[in-house]
Amino acid sequence: MNKKQNTAISKVSVNMLFILLCLVTLFPLFCLVLASLKPSTELLRFGLNMKLDVHVMSFKNYAYLFQGGSIYFEWFKNSLLLLVISTALTLFFSSMVGYGLAVYSFKGKNVLFLLVLFIMMVPLEIMMLPLFKMTVALKIVDSYTGVILPFIVAPVAVFFFRQYALGLPKALLESARVDGCTEFGIFLRIMMPLMKPAFGAMAILQAMGSWNNFLWPLIVLRSKEMFTLPIGFASLLSPYGNNYDLLISGAVLAVIPIIIIFLFFQKYFISGLTSGGIKG
Amino acid sequence: MKRKVSCVLAVLLVISLLSGCSVNTASGPSKSKTTTLTYWTFNGLHEALFQDAAKNWNKVHPDRKIKLNSVVYPYGQMHDNLSISLIANQGVPDIVDIEQKRFATMVKGNQVPLVDLTSLVAKDRDKFVESRLTMYSKNGKLYGIDTHVGTTVMYYNMDIMQKAGVNIDRIQTWDDYVKAGKKVVKKTGKPMTTIETKDPNNFLPMIVQQKSGFFDKNGKLILNNKINVKTLEFLRDMVYTDKVAVPTPGGNHHAEEYYGFMNQGGAGSVLMPIWYMGRFLDYMPDLKGKIAIRPMPAWTKGGDRSAGMGGTATAIPKASKHIDLAKDFLQYTKVSKEGNIKLWTVLGFDPLRWDVWDDPALQKENKYTAYFTNGTSLFNMLLELKDEINPLYMTEDFPAVSDKLATQILYKTIKLRNETPKKALDDAAKELE
Amino acid sequence: MKVVHSNTQPVMLSEEKKRSWLSGLLYSRKVAPYVFVAPFIISFLVFFAYPLVQTFVMSFQEVLPGETTFVGLENYRKLNNQTFYTALLNTVQYTFWTLVVLIPIPLVLAVLLNSRMTRFKNIFKSALFIPVLTSTIIAGIVFRLIFGDMSSAFMNSFLIKLGLKPELWLSSEGTGMFVMVLLASWRWLGVNMLYFLAGLQNISNDLYEAADIDGASTFQKFFHITLPSLKPVTVYVLTISIVGGFRMFEESYVFWQNYSPGDIGLTLVGYIYQQGLAYNNMGLGAAIGIVLLMIILIVSVISLKLSGSFKEEH
Repeated sequence: MNKKQNTAISKVSVNMLFILLCLVTLFPLFCLVLASLKPSTELLRFGLNMKLDVHVMSFKNYAYLFQGGSIYFEWFKNSLLLLVISTALTLFFSSMVGYGLAVYSFKGKNVLFLLVLFIMMVPLEIMMLPLFKMTVALKIVDSYTGVILPFIVAPVAVFFFRQYALGLPKALLESARVDGCTEFGIFLRIMMPLMKPAFGAMAILQAMGSWNNFLWPLIVLRSKEMFTLPIGFASLLSPYGNNYDLLISGAVLAVIPIIIIFLFFQKYFISGLTSGGIKG
Repeated sequence: MKRKVSCVLAVLLVISLLSGCSVNTASGPSKSKTTTLTYWTFNGLHEALFQDAAKNWNKVHPDRKIKLNSVVYPYGQMHDNLSISLIANQGVPDIVDIEQKRFATMVKGNQVPLVDLTSLVAKDRDKFVESRLTMYSKNGKLYGIDTHVGTTVMYYNMDIMQKAGVNIDRIQTWDDYVKAGKKVVKKTGKPMTTIETKDPNNFLPMIVQQKSGFFDKNGKLILNNKINVKTLEFLRDMVYTDKVAVPTPGGNHHAEEYYGFMNQGGAGSVLMPIWYMGRFLDYMPDLKGKIAIRPMPAWTKGGDRSAGMGGTATAIPKASKHIDLAKDFLQYTKVSKEGNIKLWTVLGFDPLRWDVWDDPALQKENKYTAYFTNGTSLFNMLLELKDEINPLYMTEDFPAVSDKLATQILYKTIKLRNETPKKALDDAAKELE
Repeated sequence: MKVVHSNTQPVMLSEEKKRSWLSGLLYSRKVAPYVFVAPFIISFLVFFAYPLVQTFVMSFQEVLPGETTFVGLENYRKLNNQTFYTALLNTVQYTFWTLVVLIPIPLVLAVLLNSRMTRFKNIFKSALFIPVLTSTIIAGIVFRLIFGDMSSAFMNSFLIKLGLKPELWLSSEGTGMFVMVLLASWRWLGVNMLYFLAGLQNISNDLYEAADIDGASTFQKFFHITLPSLKPVTVYVLTISIVGGFRMFEESYVFWQNYSPGDIGLTLVGYIYQQGLAYNNMGLGAAIGIVLLMIILIVSVISLKLSGSFKEEH
């Protein structure tokens, strides 16, 4: 009896803890949504607060975003396009490399793997100028190719796919070879589908990275028609007048696609990370 | 299985198409007579000014039409991008706005990457407020055209002044100002003003007013000279001895906290340049009709009553492919008389050329004049001040000194009060040597 | 890449000479691995090795438009100044605190979430994960407004209601560090929790059942089974957290745009921006970068060594 009571108490308290934690976590976002429904003068007058004043609340800020000629949806579209292309390509090439490092033994393999780990540790900030010069030399400035290409093989993803591929059944490899598949065919037709959970997990992380990517696109992209959401937002924020109306409602809308992606791939996320995903 | 493969191929195809069509076409030769000029700025208002100018330019110059490809970047990032591009000598815009603080770093070294613009102002040089030209010159060559004089003035909240029984026209010196401040505090319980602790918008005009600055004419650091120490002590005393001022909420007069505070009648006055008028309009709507603009108090009777602060210079990188056109367009937009009138009517800034200050267009009613109690007579007042604006000498270390003030000196002496002005300035001068 | 289509039927190598060398390449087990890692090698050489070497060279130069001068160790010598040490100390402190918060707490939460006691698992998981999906820029705006210096700002008005004194959150050293760590925790708690949660799925139930038979308490099970089994994940999270901590810039930028009072928010990467870009000392910026890289490498190698990860690797 006593033990049962104990479990009941801990059960309630654990669930309460999580509910509380979630409320605290979502609180800033709730503030953001609330602020997006008020005119920005309210924000400046009273700061960020929880007041629910129906008189001043409206969807005007959102309507403003949808008005013709608003550049917000250009940015939104660009970000979405970049997200799809860069995530797809990064996953493809990173999985290829990770797979190669995991299933074959060849000269220089360990050196390559150490290099992958090394790149993970180098901040992009320290080599901005030389990297920019390189994109100039390759004539990919002001293009999405310039945004994507330098990072098309993501070290974190390579690391992850390698760990995952280590756990793939080797027997399948042999039987496929007997069937006459090329090595690349084996990867594409047999192994890639088996790595689906890993793709799910990495899709979330890469999509998130692409959606919020700021530093590099800003250096490469030179025309406003090509800008992405984070760059656009940052240019609305300035000491010369912040455009809060657009900024905050735009920010709320901007979170939505990435949440959808998360919910969509969520079930793969855990299982992807699980199956031997991260080991030492 | 096949579908997946073709999916990947499709993506690759899209990418190759993208790379195929995305090579920069901005500055390539075009078939028609229209030339595309790229213009970078960090301020959406400036974009409006230049786009408006381009429209009018095309009417006057049908043979040299311009398509202005303007890009508004975030402030810091635009300058960072420009630094990188100037060093790489690639990917530069044809026309670019450079903020005062960052300007000195862009003209660093023996090979200035910007075009010499001295010839643009040669004809009417005496009509310009000269100190705004000196600021963007190096070895006698002008590299940027400013957007405004930035005449620093005192904005008074007349509600508070009237309640306290202060006649602002009687305030002539800083001593008068402090005395009036005490009255305000006593009668209304509100501080007379706010002192920035994260930006030098109080400190700098107050030392320039006394012909001091960060550097002397020869570029020698004079940050810790007697005038500067005395001025910083004066500011600290306003807060802690005379108790007429408070440190600015949020640290500077651009903080959200400050806008909210001031909008609710938080302080009696604020010291800022003319270009700050726009901020009143945008962020302090409740003060409409209550704000009066007056010259800065002087240090002695008959002393200088203003200083030119802030600024954004428009420059042309040497790597631009259309230097001549860019120069003529810049002359049209910011050097000509008509252009200078627009600086007021479009942006609400005090134009560089004082010979337009008494132009009827500048006395006309507009949203700026409607907000301030003495809006229409503003430029008559500025005309009185035009010879009281002392030059501010810049070197490539200007941003470092300015940042030291913003992050260390003002914070330690006014906000925390754990260091004396003398020690803070001496220490900073030593580190910057 | 097009060749993938050409291999649908079983093929004897000697049969068709036309595509001989290409298919030879495709079928060869010696060549194949290099084809797989080729994208990495190319992108490494072009977009990484070359720029990094350039950065290294730049750290011994003064770099200005049109003129580059060799200055020897001058840039490194200039690092002996108060601002650099402030930035270094801030970065180390920040990294330390994020490790203290973002490893044990998500670990315990993951264990709780994984237990039978918790309901609505998916909702909790999603809710805690959402912050990381918002960009730092947006998150920063909200946090800056919540932690404003004014007594009417949300956090301060909350403190006042509790009968406490309002704080100058963004203007003093301790609280400045606190808000940065808080923002980082808010964003990354859910992610790290999911990593640990994934690690927990790998622990076989047999271990716990065996422990139950031995009459082990919940705590004993946690310390003797759960913790040791989570070691690989912990090492992974530790490593990315160390790297992330030392690379930190955004969490500080959103609060102060790199100009914090008393430099309370200045980090090493922030210092790179300040010197390299804002003051146009690219050479000095490169030198700071090289020092930063060395620090990250040394700390990561030490942490990997201490956790014995190298032994598992080979």
